[in-house]
Amino acid sequence: MFFHNNDKSDLNDIADIPREKESALKDDFKDSKSHQNNQNWLKKNYKKYYFNFYANITLPEKIHLHEFGFRHFEGEKMHRHLSFKNSGELHAFVLKFAPSDIYCSSSLYSRPTEPMDKKEWGGSELIFDIDGKDLHLECALTHNYTKCHDCKSIHPGVLAKCTNCNSSRIYIIDVPCKNCIVSLKKEVTKLVNFLIDDFGIERSDIFIYFSGNNGFHLHVLDSDYYPLLSNERSEMASYLLGKGFKMETLGIKKTQGDKFVPLSKSKQLLEAGWRDRILKKLKINFYSSKNSDSDFSKQIEKLENAMKCDFQQMVLKTVDDLSVKIDPMVTMDIHRIFRLPGSLNSKSGLAKILCNDLKSFDPFNEACFFDKSKVDIVCFSPVSLLFKGKRYGIHEGNNHVPRYVAVYLISKGLANIDLKDIQDG
Amino acid sequence: MSIKLGTNDLAKYPFLNEASLYIKDTHFDLLEFDRSEMSFIINRSFEKIESFIKNNETRHYYKIDKFEIEILTFLASLLILKSASIDIITKKFALFESMRFEKYLIDDLKNSFKDETKRLILLKIFKEVFKIDVYAETKTIELYKIRVPEYIRRSILFHEQEWKLINRTVKDGYVYLDVSEIVRLFRNELSLLIIDKIKNMKSITFPKQVLIKSQKLKNYWDSVNKKTDVDIVNKKSVTPPCIDHLYRVLDTGENLPHSARLLLATFLLFSGKSIEEITEMFKKLPDFNERITRYQLEHLSGKTGSSKKYFVPSCEKIKMENLCHETNVCKGIINPVQLLGKRMKI
Repeated sequence: MFFHNNDKSDLNDIADIPREKESALKDDFKDSKSHQNNQNWLKKNYKKYYFNFYANITLPEKIHLHEFGFRHFEGEKMHRHLSFKNSGELHAFVLKFAPSDIYCSSSLYSRPTEPMDKKEWGGSELIFDIDGKDLHLECALTHNYTKCHDCKSIHPGVLAKCTNCNSSRIYIIDVPCKNCIVSLKKEVTKLVNFLIDDFGIERSDIFIYFSGNNGFHLHVLDSDYYPLLSNERSEMASYLLGKGFKMETLGIKKTQGDKFVPLSKSKQLLEAGWRDRILKKLKINFYSSKNSDSDFSKQIEKLENAMKCDFQQMVLKTVDDLSVKIDPMVTMDIHRIFRLPGSLNSKSGLAKILCNDLKSFDPFNEACFFDKSKVDIVCFSPVSLLFKGKRYGIHEGNNHVPRYVAVYLISKGLANIDLKDIQDG
Repeated sequence: MSIKLGTNDLAKYPFLNEASLYIKDTHFDLLEFDRSEMSFIINRSFEKIESFIKNNETRHYYKIDKFEIEILTFLASLLILKSASIDIITKKFALFESMRFEKYLIDDLKNSFKDETKRLILLKIFKEVFKIDVYAETKTIELYKIRVPEYIRRSILFHEQEWKLINRTVKDGYVYLDVSEIVRLFRNELSLLIIDKIKNMKSITFPKQVLIKSQKLKNYWDSVNKKTDVDIVNKKSVTPPCIDHLYRVLDTGENLPHSARLLLATFLLFSGKSIEEITEMFKKLPDFNERITRYQLEHLSGKTGSSKKYFVPSCEKIKMENLCHETNVCKGIINPVQLLGKRMKI
């Protein structure tokens, strides 16, 4: 065995990683022949990827102190509490089993193979997850798909109920568009600015990864933040999400006459952090006039009239606009195992990959490592995809498409591999 | 640069290592507390403890005496508390003593912006006592700053909104704080430092005078500490782990944050306990104030204020407040009160 695990029963542990909707969807078909065919075909392709592109895998410096976990095409269970002495052991394991997903802890442990309470936690990277679903983008309502758990039908768009059988047991299949990626990148940029300007983290310690599906993961390797515990990380997450903002933080207070006036100079703090961001966004200048309180109140009233909005609401709306839409549960979970950089994401077949240049990064080009050889698939619904700079209009039924398109659609549960391609590999 | 503390500093901060060194250098034997001229020190120490415990009162003790007297008073107080070994009293003393030191620190820090030597002494105190680097920002505004992780580690113990990181000035990895805030931030640690000093006293032959005072303290405690244990819930029900944890914390006399008090109070009210019974339980809190506690319980129960009755916070809210101690019994519940109806497996 390549992996080290003191307790064999742990091999079958199901991790508490939230299951994706697509996985639940796969459950519907897991006993079906076509599902088996899809899984076998994907596994062959994954094996090829790990053979040709293993160099994509980025391992932590002290690999033996990290916990690893895997999912396999043969089952939905997560196998975790595993460790590897070195990169060679992991390489051999990955080539042998071609797992559907590879995870690695952001935490360091003295005993990574032990159950959680005996691992001896030794600090953790800071991790931030920005997921497309948390942005609630309007475009997602049209380009995502709704799959019915009961009648298995697939409908374009996001629906509350299945239009075929009226069941409300439905799942959403994310198929992010260019706008989704652009919006995600904006959030990433906001986050990076917060991390540098507010938390004093060096840009060189921030690693931005495309998640391999519909989001970005930021790994922060700043030793000052390694020892922070879960509830302490939760406080950082709240800061970024703009939760709990008090009006007094702006350096103003409401008088009994419902006017906003500046707090005394001694109570006004530096132009920094949230205060600075909000004041700049609302173009409020505290120190411009030889301000009397009434001048300041007039400035606020003018703003309220222009925006047709109560000042307090205006500030809270601004906080929401400026906040970073991270998933706080990910940041605060110090025992979670995360997708290993360079590994494939079974929800899409794309790789979790480092973005050296976020602005120009195109996941449907740079995170796509399958070749363009043509394969036949049976698609359940018309889909429009932009891959490697080319638009693919997939229609319902049989399609002859490049392998990378096929991997993507099958991983999404939007298509089946055509039987004759199984022999071809 | 070596920074030497003055005797006035030692008088104000007798918990510092240099104060301990003073005791050592003078070859003071603890049994010397039995000498008649030392009865002044013993009485002074006891009165201070008594005032803290009985009256929740620190203000009579702000006036500083000669540094030798202050150092010995502090030492005698620790000895009396060690000998009495009543956890709740020790914790209450530590809290009030740290509040007293807090006042000196605030005054000193305020004066330190124009006095570099004073400032360096205070920053040395922070380094020695709290193992933290505090920096002064004196160019544009008189503020202190500490690293973000150091701030978060301490501020999460406070549940008031103003301590949340979002309501602080955060810049370049530092959180900026005014004098009162930076001192308040370290109150708990100062209190723990005093508790540790008491706990770590080993193999002591207590002077007779100390034993007499500690016995007096025990008698007082026995007289006021009637049996106040209240069954939280029906024994046949499962006690929610979050409530069980709070109850244990309360029992050891440790302080509870506001959100924890709210959870415990709403839960106990829901489970049918009276305001009197709950007030009795809360007496164990080091900063217990009967008037405020009653007022808040009446408010929560809807008897005063908007007559809105507050319900027990949901599990989700409890998790967000870091008060969740989830175990298997919590499976499938969304509010701890659901366990009240659940029968204990025997």
